[in-house]
Amino acid sequence: MNEILAILPYAAPVAYAALGETIGERSGVINIGLEGTMLFAAYGGLVGVSHFHGPYPVLVGLLLGCLFGVIVAVGSGFLTVLLKADQVVVGTAINLLALGVTGTLFRVEYGHSGKLLSVPTLSRISGIDWVVAGLVVAVPAVWLLLHRTRWGLAVRSTGEYPRAAEAAGYSVPRLRLQAAALGGALAGLGGSYLVLGTAGGFTENMTNGRGFVAIALVTFGRMNPWLVFGAALLIGYLDALQLELQAKGTAVPREVLISLPYLVALIVLVGVGKRRVAS
Amino acid sequence: MVSGGGLELVGISKRFGAVKALNDVSLSFKPGEVHAVLGENGAGKSTLVNVMAGLTAPDSGHVIADGRELPAGDPVASRRAGLGVVHQHFTLVPSLSAAENIALFRMRTAPGRFDVAALAAPALERAKTLGWTLEPDAKAESLPVGAKQRIEILKSICDDEPFLLFDEPTAPLSPDEVEDLLRILRRLADEGRVVVLVAHKLKEVLAVADRVSVLRRGEVQAAGLAARDITADQLATLMVGELPHAKPLGARATSHGGLVAQELTVPGDSGAPAVRRVSFSARRGEIIGIGGVDGNGQVELAEAIAGIRPFRGDLTFDGGPVRDVAYIPADRHADGLALEMDVADNLLLGRLRSWPRRREVEPWARELIEKFEVKTSGPAQAAVELSGGNQQKLIVARTLDREPDLVVAVNPTRGLDVKATAFVCDQLRAARDRGAAVVLISADLDELFEVADQVSFMSAGALSPAQSAASLVGGTP
Amino acid sequence: MRSRAATFGLTAAGLLAILILTLLVFGMPVGASLRLIVEGAFGDKYGVARTIVRIAPLLLTGLGVTVAWRAGMYNIGGEGQYVIGGVCGAWVAKLIAGSPSAVATPLLVAACIAGGAAYGALAGWLKARRGVNIVISTILLNFIALQILSWAVSGPLRQRGSTLPWSDELPRAVMFYRPDHASDLHAGVALALVAALAVYLLLFRTRWGFLVRLVGINPRAAQVNLIDPNRVQVAAMALSGALCGLAAAVQYVGISGQLSVEFSQNWGFLGIPVALLGGLHPGGLLLSSAYFGTLRAGTANLARFSQGGDTLVFVIQAVAVLGLAGIRGYTSLRRPVAEAV
Repeated sequence: MNEILAILPYAAPVAYAALGETIGERSGVINIGLEGTMLFAAYGGLVGVSHFHGPYPVLVGLLLGCLFGVIVAVGSGFLTVLLKADQVVVGTAINLLALGVTGTLFRVEYGHSGKLLSVPTLSRISGIDWVVAGLVVAVPAVWLLLHRTRWGLAVRSTGEYPRAAEAAGYSVPRLRLQAAALGGALAGLGGSYLVLGTAGGFTENMTNGRGFVAIALVTFGRMNPWLVFGAALLIGYLDALQLELQAKGTAVPREVLISLPYLVALIVLVGVGKRRVAS
Repeated sequence: MVSGGGLELVGISKRFGAVKALNDVSLSFKPGEVHAVLGENGAGKSTLVNVMAGLTAPDSGHVIADGRELPAGDPVASRRAGLGVVHQHFTLVPSLSAAENIALFRMRTAPGRFDVAALAAPALERAKTLGWTLEPDAKAESLPVGAKQRIEILKSICDDEPFLLFDEPTAPLSPDEVEDLLRILRRLADEGRVVVLVAHKLKEVLAVADRVSVLRRGEVQAAGLAARDITADQLATLMVGELPHAKPLGARATSHGGLVAQELTVPGDSGAPAVRRVSFSARRGEIIGIGGVDGNGQVELAEAIAGIRPFRGDLTFDGGPVRDVAYIPADRHADGLALEMDVADNLLLGRLRSWPRRREVEPWARELIEKFEVKTSGPAQAAVELSGGNQQKLIVARTLDREPDLVVAVNPTRGLDVKATAFVCDQLRAARDRGAAVVLISADLDELFEVADQVSFMSAGALSPAQSAASLVGGTP
Repeated sequence: MRSRAATFGLTAAGLLAILILTLLVFGMPVGASLRLIVEGAFGDKYGVARTIVRIAPLLLTGLGVTVAWRAGMYNIGGEGQYVIGGVCGAWVAKLIAGSPSAVATPLLVAACIAGGAAYGALAGWLKARRGVNIVISTILLNFIALQILSWAVSGPLRQRGSTLPWSDELPRAVMFYRPDHASDLHAGVALALVAALAVYLLLFRTRWGFLVRLVGINPRAAQVNLIDPNRVQVAAMALSGALCGLAAAVQYVGISGQLSVEFSQNWGFLGIPVALLGGLHPGGLLLSSAYFGTLRAGTANLARFSQGGDTLVFVIQAVAVLGLAGIRGYTSLRRPVAEAV
């Protein structure tokens, strides 16, 4: 039981991002820039926590992270949904932009490079903080939102068969932007939690592929929040296992362990393969 | 009884670029009647449906429901005013259940808490009164076409909509299902509704309609004729104009060889057969016309002949295997052209088996542009910048210039203006006169009668025996 | 249609404006920073050499991205293909250690190319046969490739007697010819120019190149003309990977002579914006790789004297790509589309 609790802080950033991406992909938009969205939000978390001197600076950091996430996601949604720019082109550029902007600002503002800047973190009770605990609420909430509300039904229809949503009187671009904004907020929470919970500090490019893994999780959780969350736990477990095995020392090369999450994601995608409905 | 007064179209005009899709169309529909609006493809029916449904704003004119003008181009307002539309292409989300699809459609206008079962309840109630069994939890993708259409109909009548518009509702249905549907239309009208049936099959129209109006090239040819006073022949003439005198049966080309298809069965995209045990022949020096409403297996048949789709059965040309088919696909944007590539590149698509040397390309492209009268600034212009007619000429040029022995063309003149249509038809005739066997698949009766030597019709994957045009006009397809 | 010269002028002005704006936004002194960048890139012959050897790998990975994207395969995996190319090169170097350079050098280059090609083709094959999204698979393969590199240099390929994770050093004779041993300029950069010409001829002068472009624009049109788009796409992915592998060869046999976990300097990743801003055309790539190669050399110098530095290139590339995507989207929305009746 304790081991499961221990992996949660590792799983939480990816899990939140993947939940957000689930909403976005349900509306028919893949956010290739999720990695960059998380990185921007992580930086937002750092800015919030280090510049705000009132009560609850960590909370302010998380909120600022969410806000950064929304801004980035809506901005890229503006390009892909309204201007119909290519999703891969825009997403790739967002990732690059995040790397460049956060890297440059980090050096200019904090004078560091490549090092971990420590920040205050969320307080934990037996290894659990409220963001991690919040997953217990977030997963069913996303599921309920998608499957038990008007908006959710409209979003799912928009992603699968936009003509049907249009025929029912909905604006497809508007639904997609709304979904992108919500997805961006969740990715932002995940990104800023990476700083304020998981790592307790900021380094350049600290998301280190988590956003990409989150996209893969959504694919192999088949856009079902429960399955996506399960997949995130599996990846978090592999992540934690990898650290533990490294600490104990095993015959298995370290690199095999580190690449396990990616390998597993790839293998599962190959398995999911053609079953997935093309959007 | 449903009460909602009448539905009226007043002076509706709409043009797309140079094409007048609708020109001053005025029609009036009375409650309690099934009113058919007839026209062939390109007559403006789809545009009319879209204007009435509020999906397209007309350039001028308006729709009046029960004395009140509907705001143009506002589908939600049209629905609120009580207009239900059953579109030709279903608007069902495949992975959602029947109930969810109905709820999706209703939730925008129905107030209150979101509850799929409650939103779907009136529709299921309706289904019961119509004697339909409907599994509310069945996913739309798992349902047969007829059941999908029932969901579409339920969606549009469950709020007691007084005005119903059906766009080619019989197109995807089997003969039995058509009969059921016509009965339902009758019943819906008898309950006091306005029922507008947009269609082009004469037999069905005459079987159910009280009144008939005819559209031709965007204009009203006849308005509100009483159906009992008119014959199929008269309607056909109104729809397509005076038919050219067709060659009598027996004037078949005497040459031997050509395409012979025996017992062809071709799977559709879903895997179920779209063409069932079809046999026919197209001799050299002959144009075989295959008519019918889109979606009855024509495209699948064409793709089987062209070698794109696997099939069962026998297909031979001059007694040997079929090779090198000049194929003019139905959807020139999706299948025919690479729109962002230039004119020369799109012509080169026809030279994949005889790739020209680099320096031959430009003169060759210019030659084709001239020969096939493609209006373009030159071989380097992007295909997307060409008009529809000139895009089609590109495809015709690259397929017919190499003087193929077998030509398969699907709706080759769709969306083209009169001149371009004539040009394409001439090219098909020229191919025939060169000794090619030509299979012309078209939903346009006019074109079939004018161009083909023999005509047969395709319906639900089956092909009627070849007949001459003359016999068809009398008996109606 | 706007002329090429005008497009080039506008793009160049736009890129310069983005550079200046970026400096302003980050609160860096514009004049001094620009001077540092220019000095770093062109200050002396070493600077020029630094610039040229940065252009070459960008051009090559950009060409790789171009071939794949032209075929409609969104290859984000240039980084992984580059890394695997390098690992294969180092592996072959170990196998044939001691061979004469006339044999060894071409073999090393071939090994890098083959490794990149195989890794690229793998992603292509997964897409064609199993329907795995190419973007996601190539991204995951990037991470896996980096771990393979890390494992290789700390395990089987580690230099004998060394405790640090790096491979054997290539003998000077095996490496590409250097006119001046004090600078990094080497003969291998010519390979990039040859590759640019070859890719141009292949894409725009051959039947296969035609098929690549066709499949990228409309795979159905290829299918209707009895061409299997999957085969073309897998082949394009192999060529794409091969070009990234060649980029690895140019770096490995030309510059580093040795592999470490630092071998990948984001060359594969940066090939994407280079390719996009080069309009997915080898001619345009010459210009965009020159611009970003210069910037990379120049900002390395900037980083030595100020807080901000080499990450600036990412910002400029990203803003340029986003701007271009936005402008393209905006203008294509403006273009009237003929509606079907």
